[in-house]
Amino acid sequence: MRKKNRICKPLIFYSVLCSVLLMTAFGPLSGPVFAQEELASAIRRYKGYEVSTGYYEEYESLPRRQRPFVDVPDLRSSAFPYSTTSASVRSRSHLADSHQGIKFYWGRRCEDCHIHETLDIHTTRANLTCRQCHGGEPIAGIDHYYSPLNPIRRHAYVCAKCHEGAGASFAGYLVHEPAPGSIKAKEEFPVLYYSYWFMSMLLIGTMAFFLPHTILMGIRELFGKKKEEKNDTDDTH
Amino acid sequence: MTPMTRINRFTVIERMFHLFLILTFLVQTVTGFSRLFISTIWGKNLTAALGGAETSITIHKWIGILMIAGFMVHTLYLLTRINWGDLKNSLFGPDSLIPNRKDAKDLWKRIQWFFGLGEPPRMDRWAYWEKFDYWAVYWGMPLLAVTGLMLMYPILTSRIMPGWTINIAVLLHRAEAILAITYIFIVHFYIGHLRPTSFPMNEVMFSGSLPLEEIQKEKPAWAARLNQSDALNHRSINPPARWYRVFYYVFGYAVLGFGIYLLINGIIYSRYIPIH
Ligand code: HEC
Ligand code: HEC
Ligand code: HEC
Repeated sequence: MRKKNRICKPLIFYSVLCSVLLMTAFGPLSGPVFAQEELASAIRRYKGYEVSTGYYEEYESLPRRQRPFVDVPDLRSSAFPYSTTSASVRSRSHLADSHQGIKFYWGRRCEDCHIHETLDIHTTRANLTCRQCHGGEPIAGIDHYYSPLNPIRRHAYVCAKCHEGAGASFAGYLVHEPAPGSIKAKEEFPVLYYSYWFMSMLLIGTMAFFLPHTILMGIRELFGKKKEEKNDTDDTH
Repeated sequence: MTPMTRINRFTVIERMFHLFLILTFLVQTVTGFSRLFISTIWGKNLTAALGGAETSITIHKWIGILMIAGFMVHTLYLLTRINWGDLKNSLFGPDSLIPNRKDAKDLWKRIQWFFGLGEPPRMDRWAYWEKFDYWAVYWGMPLLAVTGLMLMYPILTSRIMPGWTINIAVLLHRAEAILAITYIFIVHFYIGHLRPTSFPMNEVMFSGSLPLEEIQKEKPAWAARLNQSDALNHRSINPPARWYRVFYYVFGYAVLGFGIYLLINGIIYSRYIPIH
């Protein structure tokens, strides 16, 4: 009886302690939301929190309004590659209207052309529409300077509309992540790719070992049992 | 030795831990699947049965916290089980759950036995697959806990580490959960219920004790150790009461059936969700 008490009492004590610690660290007892703090220099404190490039105080060269004599790239295939290095370029990312010059754009649904982008949890689970993030017409390319989804302001203009306290680091979450096992992921998001393959190998490896192992064990035991029963009857007769 | 001598295998506390794990694991599977499969009709029905997506994820989070607390309590309990005076024997002896060289040998012998090349291994108290079961939970839970906490507080997480780690956390949380679910609902259930030696149910995790004869067949090395020590003479353990047996048979089969239901539907509907 005394031994039992020796184990039970500390157990109860430690579980209460753990819950209190958890609540202080993450739960109702933690402090105000980051965005609610009032500080003299928002930017300094802000950068202290951020894990990002630190664009905020710099100025980029601003884009001009239009490019009258330049074709919309990638639409007309020509003899020569668009980029000087011959590599393929996502040139539409810098346009103010990313669908400029695309025929039959009007009257079609986003998922007709961008099927992969409908697989993220914001679309499938949270039931958001594309425009809640990408905005009204014209839909700017992601990297156009004034685009709401430009990484320098994405967190404030888009994510923080719904995620209170979102910072630039939070906006680094990849909304439309590539299929984790794909070659695309290997190039664009290698950590995702390798975690995926690591976990897949773990699953396949565990199953490849334990399925045959347990099934064979079952079969062998079945045979063994039959033999034993036979032996038993042999003994009695 | 009377033929009905029973040996204690699991203490009350250990069985409570197992029960705790059954219940929390099942709840996490249901609520987790309701979230994972929300875009399919089955997931929608599951979510509706749980009271909606909000309720479902709230249950998932609270039970997650409970599991973390349970994990910590279990770790503390583990520390109390170590015999600090005789550390070496306590950690690497035959009663320990730490894998040792004998496990590798047992495995090799077992593989030979599968193909009729020799005797089955003379196992001790914990078979190598039982040790695997234990440690799989032991590293699975911290992984699920850390990634789960990251997803529970994504804004806070993004202040400590870059935002793309949330993508990784989602992936790891999901993959580890799928690994655990397939392992438990296929391998663990098979070993506990369907294996010829256990069929219809390996009761020891609920009754706590088992007849010495059974040990002699299954775990001869352990039986030999028990016979040598004088511990046998001090044991007079009653077999579990009938009502209790009925109770845990019903409970065990309910959980088994429910697990299989989730597994089969999960496999069927996995085609319609983007896990890639
Ligand atoms: C007629 C087919 C079509 C439809 C409909 C369409 N798009 Fe596009 N969209 C394109 C093409 C083609 C590109 C250029 C792709 C590229 O450069 O990789 C593009 C580019 C984009 C880009 C910029 C990609 C970048 O690299 O920055 C965004 C954002 C975008 N579309 C969003 C949408 C949204 C939101 C809708 C629905 C309102 C939509 N699109 C409807 C064909 C379409
Ligand atoms: C939660 C906000 C959000 C929603 C909702 C959303 N997007 Fe995006 N989208 C982004 C962000 C952020 C990017 C920048 C790259 C990234 O994070 O994947 C992006 C990039 C894109 C791109 C550029 C190519 C790429 O994959 O990087 C296209 C095309 C696009 N979105 C189309 C769509 C369509 C079509 C929908 C509706 C089905 C949609 N988006 C819904 C936030 C969103
Ligand atoms: C219109 C509102 C809205 C906007 C804008 C929005 N989100 Fe979300 N986001 C949601 C909702 C709602 C959920 C919860 C989905 C759920 O749990 O079912 C969510 C969930 C998330 C999650 C958790 C993912 C997971 O698997 O648990 C992350 C991370 C996230 N959003 C990042 C972003 C980022 C980054 C942006 C900016 C590019 C953004 N969100 C913009 C509404 C929004």
